[in-house]
Amino acid sequence: MNAGQKFAAPIALFLLVFFAAPLLIVSWYSFMPPRSFSLTGTPTLANYVEAFSGGYEKPLLWSMLGASLTTLVCALIAWPTAKLLHAHVGRAASVVTALIALPIFISESVRLFGLSMFLMPRGGILAGSLNAWFDIQIGSILNTRLAALLGMIYVYFPFTLFPLLLGVSLIPEDRIEAARDLGAGRWAVFREIELPLAAPGLLIGALLTFVLCLGANAEAAILGGRAVTVISAAIEQRFNYAQDWPMGAALTVLVLIVTAALVWPALRRIDLNRLMHR
Amino acid sequence: MRGYRRYLGAVWIGTILTLLYVPIVSVVLVSLANTRYMRFPHRVWTTDAYGDAVDSFTTWSLHLVSLQIALCVVFLAVLLGTFGAMAFARYDWKGRSLFQRLIMLPIFFPQPVLGLALLLAFSALGITPGWKTAVIAHAVWIVPIVTLVISIRLFGYDTAQEEAAFDLGASRWQVAREITIPALWPGIFSGALFAFLLSWSNLPLSVFTSGADTPLPVWLFSRTATNYSPLVPAVAVIGTLASAMGVILLFALRWLVGRLRGGRSAP
Repeated sequence: MNAGQKFAAPIALFLLVFFAAPLLIVSWYSFMPPRSFSLTGTPTLANYVEAFSGGYEKPLLWSMLGASLTTLVCALIAWPTAKLLHAHVGRAASVVTALIALPIFISESVRLFGLSMFLMPRGGILAGSLNAWFDIQIGSILNTRLAALLGMIYVYFPFTLFPLLLGVSLIPEDRIEAARDLGAGRWAVFREIELPLAAPGLLIGALLTFVLCLGANAEAAILGGRAVTVISAAIEQRFNYAQDWPMGAALTVLVLIVTAALVWPALRRIDLNRLMHR
Repeated sequence: MRGYRRYLGAVWIGTILTLLYVPIVSVVLVSLANTRYMRFPHRVWTTDAYGDAVDSFTTWSLHLVSLQIALCVVFLAVLLGTFGAMAFARYDWKGRSLFQRLIMLPIFFPQPVLGLALLLAFSALGITPGWKTAVIAHAVWIVPIVTLVISIRLFGYDTAQEEAAFDLGASRWQVAREITIPALWPGIFSGALFAFLLSWSNLPLSVFTSGADTPLPVWLFSRTATNYSPLVPAVAVIGTLASAMGVILLFALRWLVGRLRGGRSAP
C-alpha cells in the first residue's frame, strides 16, 4: 500500500460502512414484499410498480419542481452578487461575504421559524407593524407553496453563491477587457467569456442547491403548511406512520437515482485540483 | 454613470443582507413578549421568556445533547478529515482522482433522505436510534466537508520541508510533529470550527436519527409546528448564542496554543 492509500483508508472505510452500506441495505429493502420487516423475503418489484401508480410520483415531482425553481432563482440572484463581491476586493467585501455566510451556521429551524413569524397573518411582525404604524392591512402567504419556495430560496442561496464566487474568481479581468476592446457588448462578454469560465463554480453551486432542495422538508413543514407534500415527507410517512418500510425504501431509491444521475457525471467533469489549488 | 452603478450595487447588496437577517431579527423580536398569542407589536416588551428558559430543565438537557453530539462529531471529523486530506491533497497516488470524487458524494446528497436511509438501515440491523446514531449521521456528511476544508490548506503545502528534515536525519514522528502538523494546524482549526457549527445547527439529519435524545434544532422544529409561546424563540436565541460562545472559546484556545508554542520555541 502506498502513502496515499494508507491515508485514504480510514475515511474510505468509514464512508463504506456508514454511507455505502446503509444505502445498499435500503436498496435491497426496496425489493422486499410490501409491509414486510425482514431482509430475507422473496425479491419483488411490487414497490416500484406501486410507486408509479399509487400517487407517489406527485411528491417526487413537487420536490423536483421546487428544487428546479429554487436553483434557478438562486442562480439569478447569485450571479450579480458574486460579480459585485468579486469586483470590490477589500475589507468591505470580505465583511459582506462573512455576513452572508454567517446564517448558514444558524439552525434552519431557527431561521425558518423567524420567517414564519415575520410572515404570519394579523399579529405577525410584518402584518402587525404595517397595521399598527401605517394602518395598512395585508394578507399572508404563509401556508402556501409560494412560502415554502421562498423558504428554500432563503436557506439555500448561500450554497449557490459561494461556489459561484469561486467560479467568478476564475475569470481573468484582462480577458473581459480584451473582449470589450474588440467591440463585444455586455451580452456577448457574458455569454462567450464570463459564463464558460465561471461554469465549474456555477455548476457546483447549482447542483448543490438542487440536490439539497430535492430532499428539503423543513421549509414545506414550517412555511408551507399542508399545501404541499414533498418527497422526504412522503418517505417519512411510509416509514413511521404507515409502517411500510419497503415502500419508503423504494421512494428513497428513486431519489438516490435522480441524485446520482445528476451528480456523478458533473463531478467527473470538474477538475477539483484546479478549482481548489490556486 | 459609474457612480450610479456603484449606488445600484450597494442597494442590491444591502437588500440581500437585509432579507437574510430579517428572519433572524424576527426570532429575537418574537422572544420579547409574554403573551400566549403572537400579536406584534407587543404591548409589553419583556425578557421574562429568557428567565423561564434558563430555569427550565429542558433547555439544559437540549443543549447537553447537542453539545455531546457536536463534540463527538468534531473529534471524528478532525481525525478522519486530517488523514483524508493527506490523501486528497498531499500525495499524488493512483486512485486519487476517484477518491476525490467519491468523498464528495455525501455532500451532494439530500440530507433528510440520507437521515431516513440511515434510520431504516439502523432499524433493520436492530440498532435503536439515539444520540450516537445522530453522531454517525452527522459525521457521514461533515467528515467530507472537513476533509475539503483541510485539503484547501494542504494544496499550498510545500513538501520540500519534509524531505529536508528527513535528509537531516529526523524520524518519521519528528517530521509529523515538527513540520506536518504545524502546517496543517490552521486547516484543522477551521475544520473543527465547521464541524462544531454544522453539527450544532443540523436539523435534517438529526430529526430522523436522534431517536429519543432530542438535540436543540429538533426540539425547535417540533415546537414551531405546535403552539406559539415566547419560550421557543428565547431558547432559539440562547442556543444560537451558545454556539457563538463555542466559537469564541475555540478561538481563545487557538490563541492559547499559539502562545504556548511561541513560548516553547523561544530561548
